[in-house]
Amino acid sequence: MRTKKKNILTLALYAGEIMLKNGAETYRVEDTIIRICKAYHIPYVESFVTPTGIFISVDSNDDTETNAFIKRIKTRTIDLNKVSQVNNFSRKLATSYISVEEGMEILRNIDNLPKYSKLLKAISAGIASAFFAVLLGATYNDIICSFFISIFVYIAVSFVENLDSNLFIQNAIGGTITALLAILSINIHLGINIDKIIISSIMILVPGVAITNAVRDYISGDLLSGTARSGEAIIIAVAIAVGVGTVMNFWLYIFGGIL
Amino acid sequence: MMFLQYISSFLATVGFSILFNIPKKAIVKASFVGAIGWMAFIYSNQYFHSLVAASSIGACIVAIISEIFARIFKETVTVFIIPGIIPLVPGAGMYYTMLAVIEKDFNRFASIGSETIFVAGGIAAAILIISSITRMIFKAKTQLFKKKKH
Repeated sequence: MRTKKKNILTLALYAGEIMLKNGAETYRVEDTIIRICKAYHIPYVESFVTPTGIFISVDSNDDTETNAFIKRIKTRTIDLNKVSQVNNFSRKLATSYISVEEGMEILRNIDNLPKYSKLLKAISAGIASAFFAVLLGATYNDIICSFFISIFVYIAVSFVENLDSNLFIQNAIGGTITALLAILSINIHLGINIDKIIISSIMILVPGVAITNAVRDYISGDLLSGTARSGEAIIIAVAIAVGVGTVMNFWLYIFGGIL
Repeated sequence: MMFLQYISSFLATVGFSILFNIPKKAIVKASFVGAIGWMAFIYSNQYFHSLVAASSIGACIVAIISEIFARIFKETVTVFIIPGIIPLVPGAGMYYTMLAVIEKDFNRFASIGSETIFVAGGIAAAILIISSITRMIFKAKTQLFKKKKH
C-alpha cells in the first residue's frame, strides 16, 4: 500500500510538472494535483505550487507516515497543447478508473507530444508580426520588413535558447537583432516607419502572458507566484529594452538624431 | 477598413496561437476570440478615447467569450485567453517608454510608462474579474442544485 501511495504521488507530481513547465497558472496546477490524488482516494493532500517549484504532501488513514515530494522547475516555455491535454486527463480520471501505470503512460505520451515544426513556428512569428503591423497602421513596406525581421529574430532566439542561456540574454539578443535589422531596413530604404517595424517585431518577445498571469496570481491570493511571475515579466521587458535601447542609443550617438 | 482590422487581428492571433502551441482544433476559435477582442478595443477606443478603458473592455470581451468557448468545446480557458489578449498587449507603450528613457525625456517616460502599466493592469484585472464571476456563478449553481436535492 505504501509503494502505491508513492506511485500516485509521482503521477500527480509528473502531471503538475508538465503543466507548470508549459505555462499553466499556479492555481490550475494545484487543482490538478489535488484532483488526481483525490481520484485515487487519498483523503489528505496539500499542494503548494510556485512558478519555480512544486511541493506536495499527502497523508492517508492507513499508515502513520506522511509523504512529501518537492520538484524544482527550472525552465518554462508556453505549450498550451500539453496544458490542455493534462487538464483533460485529470478530468477523465475523476469520472473513470485509470490505473496508476496507465496514467504514467498517458502522461509520458503527453510530455512527448510533438510541437509544431520550427519552420512553421518561424513563419507564424512572421505572420503574427506582419499583421500586428497592419493593426498599427503601417505601410506595405513596413509590413514586409517586420515579417522578415521577426522570422529572423525567432530563429536567432530559439538558437540561443538551445545554448542553455537565460531569459535575459535571450530577450536582449532578440531586441538587439530587431533594432539592428530595423535600422538596416530603413537605411536600404525598404522600411519607412522604424517605430512601427520595431514594435511589431518585438511583439513575439513581449511578456504579455507573464504580466497577465502575474496579476491573476496576485489577486487570487498566490502572492509568492505573483511576485515570481512579475519578476520574470520585468526581466524580459528590461532585457528587450536593453537590447533595442543600446542599438538605438549607439545609432543616435554616432549618426545623429535621425530615426 | 474595419474588415481589414478584423482580418489582420484574426491572422495575427493565428500566428501567436501556433507560437504558443495551442491544440490544432482550437486555433481558429482562439483567433476568432482575438479578433472580436480587438474589434471591441477599437470601437470602445473611438467612444472613450482612453487606451486603459478600451483595453480593459477588449480583455473583458476576450475573457467572456473564452469562458463560454471553454465550456462549449471542453478546453482549458487558457487556450483561448492567452492568444486572445495578445493583440491588446501594450507593446507600443513599452517601446515608447523605452524610447523616452533613451532620449532622456523623463516627463514622457512617466506619462507613457504609467499608462502602459495601467493598460497591462487593466487587461489582467478584466480577465480576473470575469473568471472570478464565472467561478461564483458555477459555485452558486452547484449549491442551488444541492439544496434542491435535499
